Amino acid sequence: MTVHQIRQVRQIRTRPKVRYLLLHAYGRGGTIRTVMNQANSLVQAGWEVELVSALRRRDDIQFPLDPRVTVTTVVDEREEAYTPPSGVAGRWLGWRRGRLTEQPARHVPAGEFGHRYFNRYVEQRLIAYLSSLRDGILVTTRPALNFLAAEHATGGVVRVAQEHMNHGTHKHDVQKRIRETYPRFDAVAVLTDRDREEYERLLPGTRVVRIPNAVHSLDQVPSDHRSKIAVAAGRLFPQKGFDLLIPAWAKLVETYPDWQLRIYGSGEKKAELRALIEEHHLYNHVFLMGHTDRLDDELAKASFYVLSSRFEGLPMVMIEAMSHSLPVVGFDCPTGPSDVLTHGVDGLLVPPEDPDALADAMAKLMGDQALRADMGVAAVLTAASYGPDAVHPRWEALFGELHELHEHHERHGLAEQGHRAAGAAKGQRA
Amino acid sequence: MQGLGLQLVKPHAEITEVWPRDGRVRLVGRIHGRPADGYWRLLLTRRGRAGHRLDYPAQVKGDRFESELLIADLAAAADTAEVEEWDIHLTDGEAELRAGRRLDDVHGKKKIMVFPEQRIHGLSVRPYYTVKDNLSLKCRTGAAT
Repeated sequence: MTVHQIRQVRQIRTRPKVRYLLLHAYGRGGTIRTVMNQANSLVQAGWEVELVSALRRRDDIQFPLDPRVTVTTVVDEREEAYTPPSGVAGRWLGWRRGRLTEQPARHVPAGEFGHRYFNRYVEQRLIAYLSSLRDGILVTTRPALNFLAAEHATGGVVRVAQEHMNHGTHKHDVQKRIRETYPRFDAVAVLTDRDREEYERLLPGTRVVRIPNAVHSLDQVPSDHRSKIAVAAGRLFPQKGFDLLIPAWAKLVETYPDWQLRIYGSGEKKAELRALIEEHHLYNHVFLMGHTDRLDDELAKASFYVLSSRFEGLPMVMIEAMSHSLPVVGFDCPTGPSDVLTHGVDGLLVPPEDPDALADAMAKLMGDQALRADMGVAAVLTAASYGPDAVHPRWEALFGELHELHEHHERHGLAEQGHRAAGAAKGQRA
Repeated sequence: MQGLGLQLVKPHAEITEVWPRDGRVRLVGRIHGRPADGYWRLLLTRRGRAGHRLDYPAQVKGDRFESELLIADLAAAADTAEVEEWDIHLTDGEAELRAGRRLDDVHGKKKIMVFPEQRIHGLSVRPYYTVKDNLSLKCRTGAAT
């Protein structure tokens, strides 16, 4: 073996650095939480991991993050981070930043749910960052970032696009860009089998893998199913369907006056939901609990979990609830619930957006503690396949394999490309 | 453990339901930490104004009580203050038990257990939990919001 060969072998065995690009690592969404779980597991397994936040609007990270994971920001939008520029060049740059900030994004379609966070300035800074990457693995975590990475992270980094939403929920302009740009990724990672099939059909020849998100822990306090508390959780936002859940609860309140519904989360629809609670006179029974840092404790106190979403990617809080031995009552919405739940075993699935059916299913669990306990045991077993130990080795395997493939291409493919380039140059000159 | 916890909570009128409807606020709860026999009334005291009091009969069965107050009475008692607050108690003539919700696990009720506002004779009245989980009434004159 020559020294050169030995170095190559060592390079293959060395783990590449993994960078996750998030829209806002300082936020509180499900994607952010999931990515931090992945980052924690990887760094604990000896990988070098960096979280790159496209934007920064808050001082502190909101979820537990291993201190070995480094966090960097592309555009800091906190007010105190902005120092008025000095000097002619500085003032010009400040003026230019302001002007670009006012211009709408060009590369992010209007139908991307995160479109309003982007502008020309953010785009240009992200493009500059992505173009600078030469090695390791880049994981981009939402369509807008995936589109930018597909076109601009072309300097030699291995690229993985994560999809946290199911394909059907994307707007048409986003779906079009997905078909155009995702074939450039080394792998596209989706959450459910249904999505894997759909993306494989849309992106022939592209590697599509299904890796579910993992719950942060399976070592949870189980519910004893005795309390008269049902829990729902999520951003107070139309997608989560709390506006369907509140009228459903109104149908039960006379029959089950001792029961409480606790909805955890914050969001822009809080006032509307409060008005709906008042309209149905549910202010003694349905509570908007706000954000909590101790959702685990709150889940352990409940007797069942309700999922009222209009659509989902993979509902992680639902799986977390299941890890606390809570059965689930939920709409059979696209996609997620039915990929996880078996109706009648670990929960009850009802037709989507049907409050009457949701109320009937909740009544069934409210009236039967033994049923709650039986389904709760089944729920824990279901949740086990979403534990960190079951899921995170699959990311390690994927990243390891993609890196090895890349190294292989670098060694063999690049030499060929080099010859071709040299040949072409000669041809031009002739 | 829970039983022990309950004994440590001071005597009070534990509120379980608040119904602000039809010009009234109906209250349902349990008398906690004091024998419930005797004749009980609901007592409103205006905060910061000794002597401003309103009271109403309460029905007590076992330790469960139920009573209601009239918004119109608060409107009649209102003076020029823009905002006035009334604290709610239950009294048997000797003890004045503060009304509140202290026996459950919900922290920060002020923002979680929020009740609708009623507007009668130019006065807007809303029952609310204080930062100490006691039940009070906030009355506002001026334009409705």
